[in-house]
Amino acid sequence: MSDPTTVTPPPVPPASPDPRESRDRNPVGPIVLLWAGLTIVLELFAIFVPARVMGVAASTNMADIKRAVTVFSIAAAPVAALVWSIALYSLLRWRHRGPEPPTQDGPPIRGNTAVQTVWLLVSGGLCLFLLVWGLAAMQATASTASNPLVVDVTGQQWLWTFSYPAAGGVSSNVLYLPVNRPVAFDVTSEDVVHSFWIVQMGIKIDANPGEVTHIGVTPDRRGTFAVRCAELCGIYHAYMQTQVRVVSDAAFRSWLRSGGGRVTSAATHGTPQPAGARASALGGLELRRGNG
Amino acid sequence: MAEMTIADAPAPAPAAGGIMRRLNVVTGLLAGLVLAGIGWAISHATLQNGTYGSDQVTCITLVCWLVGFLAGIGAFVGPVRWLAGKDLTEDERLFLAGKDQGVGRYFRFTTDHKVVGIQYLVVGMALFFVGGMLAMMIRTDLLTPGSKLFGLQTYNSVVGLHGIIMIIATIVMVTGPFGNFIMPLMIGARGEAFPRLNALSFWLLVSVVPVLLSAAFLGGIPTGWSAYAPLADQAPPGQDAFLITIIGFAVSVALTGANLTTTAVTMRTRGLTWSRTPIFVFGVVGSAVLGLVAFPMFMSSQIFQGLDRTVGTSFYNAAGGGSVWLYQNLFWLMGHPEVYVILLPAFAAVLELTPVFCRKPLFSFRGAIVGMAGIMGLSLLVWAHHMYVSGWAPDLNGSFMLTTEMISVPTGLLILVIIGTVWRGRVWTRLPMLAVYAMLWNFVIGGITGVYLSDVPVDEAMHGSLFVTAHFHYTLMGGALTGAIAALTYWFPKMTGRMLNEKWASIGFWTAQVGFQVTFLSMFAIGLAGLPRRVGDYPPQFATGNAVATYGAYVIMIGMLIYAGALITSWIYGVPAPASPWGGKTLEWQVPTPVPLDNFEVLPVITSDFYGYGENGAGPPAVPPGRREPAEPPEPVEEPVGAQSAASQPEGSAQ
Amino acid sequence: MRMWAGVASAVVAGAAVVALSGALLSVTDQPPGQLRASVRGYVLTPSGRLPHAFLSIATYPDSLAGEHGHGGGPHPDWVSYGPTTNFEVPAHAVVTVTVRQYDTGGTIYNPYFAQVHGTLGGTATVDGKTVTGINPNTVGHTFTLHMFQANQPAEFISVPLPGVSASAPNHANGYPTPHVVTFSFVTAGPGRYVWNCEFPCGTGYEGFGGPMSTEGYMDGTLTVG
Repeated sequence: MSDPTTVTPPPVPPASPDPRESRDRNPVGPIVLLWAGLTIVLELFAIFVPARVMGVAASTNMADIKRAVTVFSIAAAPVAALVWSIALYSLLRWRHRGPEPPTQDGPPIRGNTAVQTVWLLVSGGLCLFLLVWGLAAMQATASTASNPLVVDVTGQQWLWTFSYPAAGGVSSNVLYLPVNRPVAFDVTSEDVVHSFWIVQMGIKIDANPGEVTHIGVTPDRRGTFAVRCAELCGIYHAYMQTQVRVVSDAAFRSWLRSGGGRVTSAATHGTPQPAGARASALGGLELRRGNG
Repeated sequence: MAEMTIADAPAPAPAAGGIMRRLNVVTGLLAGLVLAGIGWAISHATLQNGTYGSDQVTCITLVCWLVGFLAGIGAFVGPVRWLAGKDLTEDERLFLAGKDQGVGRYFRFTTDHKVVGIQYLVVGMALFFVGGMLAMMIRTDLLTPGSKLFGLQTYNSVVGLHGIIMIIATIVMVTGPFGNFIMPLMIGARGEAFPRLNALSFWLLVSVVPVLLSAAFLGGIPTGWSAYAPLADQAPPGQDAFLITIIGFAVSVALTGANLTTTAVTMRTRGLTWSRTPIFVFGVVGSAVLGLVAFPMFMSSQIFQGLDRTVGTSFYNAAGGGSVWLYQNLFWLMGHPEVYVILLPAFAAVLELTPVFCRKPLFSFRGAIVGMAGIMGLSLLVWAHHMYVSGWAPDLNGSFMLTTEMISVPTGLLILVIIGTVWRGRVWTRLPMLAVYAMLWNFVIGGITGVYLSDVPVDEAMHGSLFVTAHFHYTLMGGALTGAIAALTYWFPKMTGRMLNEKWASIGFWTAQVGFQVTFLSMFAIGLAGLPRRVGDYPPQFATGNAVATYGAYVIMIGMLIYAGALITSWIYGVPAPASPWGGKTLEWQVPTPVPLDNFEVLPVITSDFYGYGENGAGPPAVPPGRREPAEPPEPVEEPVGAQSAASQPEGSAQ
Repeated sequence: MRMWAGVASAVVAGAAVVALSGALLSVTDQPPGQLRASVRGYVLTPSGRLPHAFLSIATYPDSLAGEHGHGGGPHPDWVSYGPTTNFEVPAHAVVTVTVRQYDTGGTIYNPYFAQVHGTLGGTATVDGKTVTGINPNTVGHTFTLHMFQANQPAEFISVPLPGVSASAPNHANGYPTPHVVTFSFVTAGPGRYVWNCEFPCGTGYEGFGGPMSTEGYMDGTLTVG
């Protein structure tokens, strides 16, 4: 055991020479091969897996999102493969095993301007690509359609209610939408922050008390899809779910006419919702606090 | 400074330390309980029946506990004596620093930075144990659909407590043990700039842990660790315990930030210019500065929440004129820099040990500095990417997307520095270095998944889902915690005087890594498939993914327990360690193990940086023969305050 | 050998602490018992002849009469549903629920829930009178039931329960004369549903804290099947 009070001195010339000649072979070739192999594996994953896991797309928003995830994965795969292939190669060819430190030092490389410049340029370029892609996608979804169907969405612990101001305030717990018609959601909350998420349509917007937030989408596939709450809102956050049923235009209109199916129309009794800009659900509410 | 007293000290004057001799964690506990009891009795009698009664009583009781505990452990003795005109004698300074106290000094208000480092290590590990235990409960509850282990309210509380305990643990896990123990050694200092503040910072952390755990008995917290208003307003008194914890912890972080920053700036030994300073110092200081900027936001957010709950203000209450977005902005102004507060020291520790284990200089020291600075600067500009779907400022989403995506550039630079250092090196495949490889794997995955989340349209699908949870576990646990384990394995011999049994530590480490991949890769999948986060129950189509994630979590637990067992057993029974088992060049390896009380017999003079592997005269750049500083003349015992603290260095600080 | 013992004891001790804590937490936090609806006879509906199930529950101004024991549990002053909050009803049946409402009331702030939704005929019976909604200023509680996850048969019912006047005298049992609300609905296929009150009868922010945010008081489950 070495004396704990002395500093381990730098080593004298080694007793046995380093047996690994392979250490000094040009690494670029094998690394490129490793990189290519890893890239192929990761690209296969990128192309086939994430979009499939995300399920069916019920709007162009979601189709764009799935495409973005796939494209980003395709772009990221070579980067990850590069880092991992160099790391892997170093473990195969440059390693030193054993309880004693390596007897020789490595080459004193203190930077390589060319490598750093290329790295920064490529990462900057990838960053720019991501940005442009993202901004373009945001532009596409921001273009508002004229005459969208307006639906008021209210979150209250722990359920969603939807009402259709243009139909005189027909309300429902299940969201009915006509296919291929742009919808504009005006979303608010009666109490805490919820988040209105139509999973297969790829839209999500928080429901805030005292504010009305907006999001739009055009459902392009008929069927029944899930609406979930995406912001922890109390004990039944996990159960704050309902369905969105995308039906044909005719079916939608007849559903509206029947007062929203089994649900009573609020127009008969309650305060009708004003068409157009929606007042915040908390307007006129006085601050209320129970006795602690 | 009194170097001479170390080797041949006369017996210390009796009763040095005064009242500090009698104060320790037990007296702190007692004083805290007594004052809390008094606070509770008075407030309960007078306030309980008001509208906000139970919240006011809870807050007052917990604050009384904090003050009582700190008083009982002697945190206020120093300031009181200073106000009274009395100050520390040299013997008192030595007593405070734990001289001749054996194991007892770890249970006192000890100012020796090495003692504080060990204290942080132990408390950090305890926090990880509790946080990990809560994680096992979360996963067990989610093993099958239908909340089985406990009810949904308890589930929400377990999730929230797990989150905040892990956040606290990961914030302190590198800066606490290694920022305190190792960093002053690395810069050639005898101590830190504000040793008593340092001890206060540690004991403040200890004192808020019972406060946080008391939330479990006060109804829990329904909000997750992000404590969004106004759900936090609706919460039972457990939420008051949470916000008091945060306020106390924010003070602790600020104290550490001030202390470590001042230490690094003013106490570097002669010749240690910034371009020769080890990269680890930069990481710790960068993290401390970021914390100093960010944590006041968190503290304010909780103070406002506390006022809303105890006095009926409406900071976050829309019906009263407030805004929920105010809370979210304040929180995330902290929340994003905070993840870099966690990440930077771990990354810097990895950057520090990689040259040692590759026998090569750091590939681009300047690049690493630029990378860290870029991360720090940008991290203050990205916070609203957590609020893309909040509806707060949709027109700003594009700008935040820009800044967030730009952060990948300096982060990538740091990864380049690691793989550039590894390139053609003599990679010594010991556990510290192998942990660096694990960190590279995890952090690349975590970083890339962060890119998806930074894209606004994609975030509309992913926000609030388990994809986010898996992303931040990959970066914070797979990246930062793995880096911290690498740092621990690296510096364990210096801090404990023993070698860590590498065989068992590796078994534990790799077992945990395998379990980690299983759990969080499957969590990515169910998040992509549309399962929200923080749900105690889920529809049946997510059952397989959740079950797989749970079994992976059990594997993580076993792996971590094996590592912990190896650590503890090695600490007690391990092979005694040489002063420099890894052949490192930085200054902490040039001092003996165990490290003497005042660190260096003679403060070194630095002539080159510490990455001179493979270069001329490759060896530790400590004092070369012929340039050794002359022995210092003995200092008088009575000295003004400024010279007493370790902050004053007649040897001067570097420029 | 020492290492092996140290590691093994760490794993065993650690796992034991985790398991014990989990078990302790679990034992102290079990769901309330189930109340199964009693089935008597049949009802002719447009969808055919369905079995008729009956459920009888109540809402109280405190926790002394429900599932929290005679001491009222940790919060005897919290309003509660009783005799329990977890119900079981048969699938493809008509369920008639009778609620005795003993608590006082006030103004509901989402008038949507002062209306009756989703019941058979869209109506409920309050003290013998058939209504489609009640005065939003005198609501005591609501019984609001919805699906708990998106891929199951949908069900949405909300019935307001009028509040008892604050000046009504108490009988020997400690409660005033209740309002009796009866409503019926048809259950679809098997599934689990959740229900909770949507009147702010709790404490704290917006009256949704306290009993409104704690399991076993103003919320529960309904299992169909």
